[in-house]
Amino acid sequence: MANYLTLAVAGSRKTQGIVEHCASLPHDRRALVVTYTQTNQAELRDRLSTYPGDHPDIRVMGWFTFLLRDFARPFLPFIFPGKRVRGFNFEGRPHRMAKGLKRFLDLNEAVYSCELGRLAHELVEASKGVLLHRIECIYDEILIDEVQDLSGHDWEIIDVLLNSSLDVRMVGDIRQSVLATNPRSQMNKKYAYAEAINWFREREARGVLEIIENATTWRCHPDIAAFSDTIFDSSWSFPRTESRNKTVTGHEGVFLVRHEHLDEYIAQFDPQCLRSSANSGKDFDLDYLNFGLAKGMEYRRVLIVPTDGIVEFIQSGNHLGPKPAANFYVAVTRAAQSVAIVLPDAGTSKLPFWEP
Amino acid sequence: MITKIKIHGYRIYKDFELEPNQKLNLIVGANESGKSTLMEAIALALTGRVNGRRVSEELNPYWFNTTLVEEFVWKRNNGERVAFPEISIELFFEGRDDLQQLCGAINTEIPTKACPGISMSILPNPDYADDLDNWARNPSPILPIEYYMDDWRSFADSKITIRPKQLATAIIDSRTVRSTSGVDYHLREILGDHLKPSERADISLTYRQVKASMSDGALKTVNERIGKLHASLHDRPISLAMDQSTRTSWESSVTPHVNKVPFSMSGQGQQAAIKISLAMNKHSDQANFVMVEEPENHLTHTSLTTLLSRMESLAGEQQQLFVTTHSSFVLNRLGLGSLLLMGRGEAHTVLGLSKDTVSYFQKLPGYDTLRIVLADKIVLVEGSSDEIVFERIFRDIHGKKPMECGIDVLSMRGLSLKHCLELCAKLDKTVAALRDNDGIDPVELRTQVQVWLSNGRRELFIGKVEDGETLEPQLVHFNGEAVLRQILNVDARADLSKWMKREKTEGALRIAESQQQIIPPEYMLAAAKFIHG
Repeated sequence: MANYLTLAVAGSRKTQGIVEHCASLPHDRRALVVTYTQTNQAELRDRLSTYPGDHPDIRVMGWFTFLLRDFARPFLPFIFPGKRVRGFNFEGRPHRMAKGLKRFLDLNEAVYSCELGRLAHELVEASKGVLLHRIECIYDEILIDEVQDLSGHDWEIIDVLLNSSLDVRMVGDIRQSVLATNPRSQMNKKYAYAEAINWFREREARGVLEIIENATTWRCHPDIAAFSDTIFDSSWSFPRTESRNKTVTGHEGVFLVRHEHLDEYIAQFDPQCLRSSANSGKDFDLDYLNFGLAKGMEYRRVLIVPTDGIVEFIQSGNHLGPKPAANFYVAVTRAAQSVAIVLPDAGTSKLPFWEP
Repeated sequence: MITKIKIHGYRIYKDFELEPNQKLNLIVGANESGKSTLMEAIALALTGRVNGRRVSEELNPYWFNTTLVEEFVWKRNNGERVAFPEISIELFFEGRDDLQQLCGAINTEIPTKACPGISMSILPNPDYADDLDNWARNPSPILPIEYYMDDWRSFADSKITIRPKQLATAIIDSRTVRSTSGVDYHLREILGDHLKPSERADISLTYRQVKASMSDGALKTVNERIGKLHASLHDRPISLAMDQSTRTSWESSVTPHVNKVPFSMSGQGQQAAIKISLAMNKHSDQANFVMVEEPENHLTHTSLTTLLSRMESLAGEQQQLFVTTHSSFVLNRLGLGSLLLMGRGEAHTVLGLSKDTVSYFQKLPGYDTLRIVLADKIVLVEGSSDEIVFERIFRDIHGKKPMECGIDVLSMRGLSLKHCLELCAKLDKTVAALRDNDGIDPVELRTQVQVWLSNGRRELFIGKVEDGETLEPQLVHFNGEAVLRQILNVDARADLSKWMKREKTEGALRIAESQQQIIPPEYMLAAAKFIHG
């Protein structure tokens, strides 16, 4: 019944917050911790087993596993009588025109990951309350990490959970939503990516949810934090990021680097080089990591080869759209001490150039 | 609590369905009617084990229903690609909150139904699809169980490996004592359920320490001496120590004692009684299933009475009992209302037996109700003389004894005809009931039990008042005094009717053994013809 969403900035120790919350729970509390990425699951499981290791009823599950175990597998016959889910098809997609069973299950009766949310949501209705009652009986509390990564029908399921007797605690950073569970789903398109914030604020206005902002970063230097705040325009009304990073190395903040100084900069600072995707940053032969893969990582220094959009944002202050903005935000907030952006001309930007 | 049991393809059960009683189920049936098989099937689905062993260890070709296997072999030999026979046992539970983990719609109910439940299936292992195909080219009725696997699942479609803790199950089998220590797998489970995890850990630790102290104490000097022997293969020192491996855990040494006598040394009856008390005396907040096979075995009448009243007093709100029995005493005592009648792979619950009748038989537990329950056709007579005379007359008419025709002649010995007839009616038995008119108009006597009668199925036969009030004057009336004196060997000096009244049983026996022809009283003749037409 008590539902909370903690909106946190990058580097604010979100996962640690979940672990600490679990440790503070009564011994016999049945809590389910759900997260989207595999690495995050392993990380959570690992940390939960060492920190609140004496809680027997805290379980960690991936979002898909949750939908399979507690929605699709037990209740599939309510939509397709006599049928069973016999596996999970992560890569496959149903035919565009596929209807009925074929829309959800492949030839081996494995459920398509991209349609699982929709199926799960339809089963909530079709089971006439049995499904939800079961979940209400087997868990006391559900914790959802990386909530910004959910999409499409997943939001409907969150709605169901918010209106159940369970306590739902969600943690996420809306500014980091670069993954989507169903690339093709039309459902809830308006909530996709960073616009999820509005979805939550609607629910807060209706009183089903309390939003807690956590704007303290333990990672990013104050200058980096301040720059990251400028990536989204003020209409999002994100709070200003506070930094607790007091480390001094002699090279702190956000810098622009001209092409001719690039090699020297890398030699001197050894930053992690980041690019938007495999198609960008081709002008330089660097040891890149794509923005998406850098998610969840922390580096002392990063160097970003900007996209055209990022260049325009820096030079003339035109804001990026929600998705590229989220990507850029992820890239910038990986850094603890310094961010360097490869750019020949600063335009109206007040960012300083690094010079040898 | 189990609300429904579905068994497919297991031993004598081709397709079996049963909705058991909520609290008590008294399973009764002839030999080979599937009582034990039903108990076995329930235990199999509840615990994943048979006789305390895993399915994979116990599985054999005779688990499969022979009719289904023969059908399969016949069809395969005829080129039909029918699927391999499978076994499935499903237990449906009531929708309690603490059982919701097991809730789902993966069951065979049509239309789709979601409730907590558990299923055990024995089915072909897809990993051996090729081997199975090869075998099926030349199939035999002995299925290749090596290529089969067991699949134990909840209705939520998740695999189960150990018994869910909400389904505490106690199995008490008093027929045989399985292990030499007397503590068989079932008893260990029961004891285990009584101990808190912390207590178990404590016992285990203390036991290890005790063993370790042996090594440091009494064995120490021994070891100092034999350590100098160079007897081992590579000249490594040998020593004696207590075995600390899990094989020798406390469970095999710590056993229950009764009055300081080890459990295994106490009588079998005592053992059964202890198991039942231990199993039933649990925290009632759990769903408990207690299965007792033939509690009457190894017990004297007095011990059985004690045991049954203990069972009654221990039965909690949340316990469901399954009891098989061959004893009318057990049946009457625990209440005929909970009867589950097995026969030919089917089970009938006896619904709606009036409380009055149930408690009537509870108060008179010595009566052989099981005979009523198990008989095909029943003749109810008043006393043993009626029984003897009826048997003779039946043989005269049909040339066989009633028993040979599947007819059980039961003497009510003063029991109320009304209650007996109600039981027969609820069991839907064919009954001929005979009674004396005692000088009352038969029409009036019939109205008293009219509700339980049914034309052609259950009829009441009463002699006319003018032909005599009881059997003896009726016999005199139909045969004439002279013939009867001869048959009974009563000379003229004695008063025939007084003699017959005094020597009822003796008279009946003489009639039974007489070589002379006997004219049956009208009502008895009609009854004999009715019951075996």
